[in-house]
Amino acid sequence: MSRASIFSRIDANLATILIGAAILWFAPAGLKSYGLYVISFWLVMSIAAMGLNLTLGYAGLKSLAQAAFLGIGAYATALITAKGGIAGATWSWPLAFVVSGTLTFLAGVVLGFPALRVKFHYLAFVTLAFATLMFLIFRNEQWLTGGVYGFSNIPRPTLFGAKLNNDLAFFRFVLIVSVLLSLAMWWMLRSPWGRAFQALRENPLRAASLGVNLRNYTLLAFAIGSAYGGLAGALYAPLVEFIDPAPFAVSASFVLLLTVVVGGQGYFLGPFLGAAFSYVLPEVLRFTGGLYLLVYAAMVLILLLISPQGIIGIVEKFRERRRQKDAQDQRDASKAMLGA
Amino acid sequence: MISKRQALLGSAGLMLAATLGLGTAMAQETVKVVGVIELSGAGATAGTNYKNGAQMAVDEINAKGGILGKKIDFVVYDTQTNPGNTRAAVQRGVDEGAFAIFGPVFSGPISASMQIAQKAGVPQIVGGEAAGLTKQGVNTIFRTSLNQADAMPKLAEYFKNDVKAKSVAVVWVNNDFGKGGRDAIIPELQKRGIKIAADIATESAQADFAADAIKVKASDADAVFVYLNEEESARFLRAIKQQGYAKPIVGETTLLGAKVIELAGDSAEGAKGHVGLSVDAPNPLFAEFGKKFQAKFNYKSDHNGIKGYSGMYLLKHVAEKNGKFDKEAWLKYAHSAIIRTKDEPGILIDSKWDANGDVDRESFLAEVKGGKQVITGTLPPVSKF
Repeated sequence: MSRASIFSRIDANLATILIGAAILWFAPAGLKSYGLYVISFWLVMSIAAMGLNLTLGYAGLKSLAQAAFLGIGAYATALITAKGGIAGATWSWPLAFVVSGTLTFLAGVVLGFPALRVKFHYLAFVTLAFATLMFLIFRNEQWLTGGVYGFSNIPRPTLFGAKLNNDLAFFRFVLIVSVLLSLAMWWMLRSPWGRAFQALRENPLRAASLGVNLRNYTLLAFAIGSAYGGLAGALYAPLVEFIDPAPFAVSASFVLLLTVVVGGQGYFLGPFLGAAFSYVLPEVLRFTGGLYLLVYAAMVLILLLISPQGIIGIVEKFRERRRQKDAQDQRDASKAMLGA
Repeated sequence: MISKRQALLGSAGLMLAATLGLGTAMAQETVKVVGVIELSGAGATAGTNYKNGAQMAVDEINAKGGILGKKIDFVVYDTQTNPGNTRAAVQRGVDEGAFAIFGPVFSGPISASMQIAQKAGVPQIVGGEAAGLTKQGVNTIFRTSLNQADAMPKLAEYFKNDVKAKSVAVVWVNNDFGKGGRDAIIPELQKRGIKIAADIATESAQADFAADAIKVKASDADAVFVYLNEEESARFLRAIKQQGYAKPIVGETTLLGAKVIELAGDSAEGAKGHVGLSVDAPNPLFAEFGKKFQAKFNYKSDHNGIKGYSGMYLLKHVAEKNGKFDKEAWLKYAHSAIIRTKDEPGILIDSKWDANGDVDRESFLAEVKGGKQVITGTLPPVSKF
């Protein structure tokens, strides 16, 4: 029931997003490029994780291809915006953003359609195969993607005639896009769609008996989740300004999966916490020198041992304990009254 | 409830901001050099050698009073052999006011990060060999080893004159290092009338090379050219020896590296080819370096150790020639620097850097005999200096 309780307080999520965005807008003004890069990277990966959270956390589908969707978006953006852009400096990135989302949405539909008939781990297998296939395409189709040499000189987008070459300006641009996508997700999860997605995860049979079309809704959840991967890719390419196949390999999909699980799958804010854990914490841990990956791995293990529900799960655990204590106090109080 | 959460999130954000923004203070009496090096992931073997070589040079230079009276403050950030992390690390180095960036060694991460150093005008001394790196007009990049495009013609000559091969099977690793080498050697071989009997791509971090070894054997080529990273080279050597392969196995630098010989054991016996740098080269400075490295780190340095070591002395020599720590002046001088061992013994071998950041110097022919790399010949630089 703890999930449902978060769901009922979803306005707290909205408030967190808006206030968090306001803080982020001003907080990093003193940061240098490195700090801005890390925070921008965190936001971009949060978007990708948000998509996977919809797929995994709300609809209960295990996808191992989120990094491949990220890659599709990144390569599409690189191809559309590089060398002056196919639609001019101003409109190339918006076009790339739409194309990235559309391509990955359609890929999600095509991929999900056969796989969702069998659901469960079969979708994991299909997405695993797809992720491998996409990696091979990114790497081997050198004429299109630059192959192992990568794709360099990807430009930052242009907004109102000004190129976002300044790192702070680009970070704020990433922030705006992230907030808009978060709001869209928040709205969607509150809509009948979102409730249907949850119903699918909790009890598919019952959902079906209530008139939820199982296949269409799972397909929709998977396709939208994939599209968020593609949209994140549209920001990833101009952020790093260079892409090669490595960050979109199967292993990167596993890291995204870890991100969602660590953050707390099925919680709206889980992806943000998870992405901070997966992509920012290793940077922060650098002060430990050569040990930092060991320390990081140990933290992942301990966290998941303590709280399989992820970081938000810890918060929920405390809250649940307090609720039970309150209830116990009430019972005790009423017992005393009864006894009197 | 919300306010508590907000407070928590807000303070976490501020803490994060503080952590990321820290570390810009730089003491006057030191000069900061940031290593951005592969200490984990696929490039760990090469990166660790590069780092240790550079560290040894830093210790020596600091023991003698530093550069222009300033000690080197050498900090190393691991890249996990990942382009995104590399970019972050180079950015961090630039933000921290590094005078130079040291590394990375693998070509992909170099491609991902060199624009950052260029934008900031910070010299970047790298270990990469892929031909494309110095072709993109980045004026801050400097190699510490020969460019593939310079090494491969030397090797093709070797195939023709020494190995006397009429056909060659080419085995390469499908990353930008391997693909770059493959794309460079094949036209050079064909130009000399040598047929490509097989063109075999393998994966980075591949564990089993049995199928590739069988393909090489079946190609019936006169020799095989192996262009893989260190650990893969060792695995391939073991696999092809298991197939009872008796024809010449030829490589370029990595195949004959100390780490490969150690990992492959007897299977490395007889492997030969071209090496840019080697502690076994007939050069007292290399030998001395090799001894010091062995004593300090308790294992034998490969070419990457030499690259890191001599790269640090490149940094020192140019700064001293300029008489000041000025990045622009450093870049200008280094873009036509000829450094001879009589002026700077730490450079280990007479070297010349050109306007692209490519280095030219003598190189060697070598063969593995009795579990050791034995130098069998010395090749002149591409252009005399």
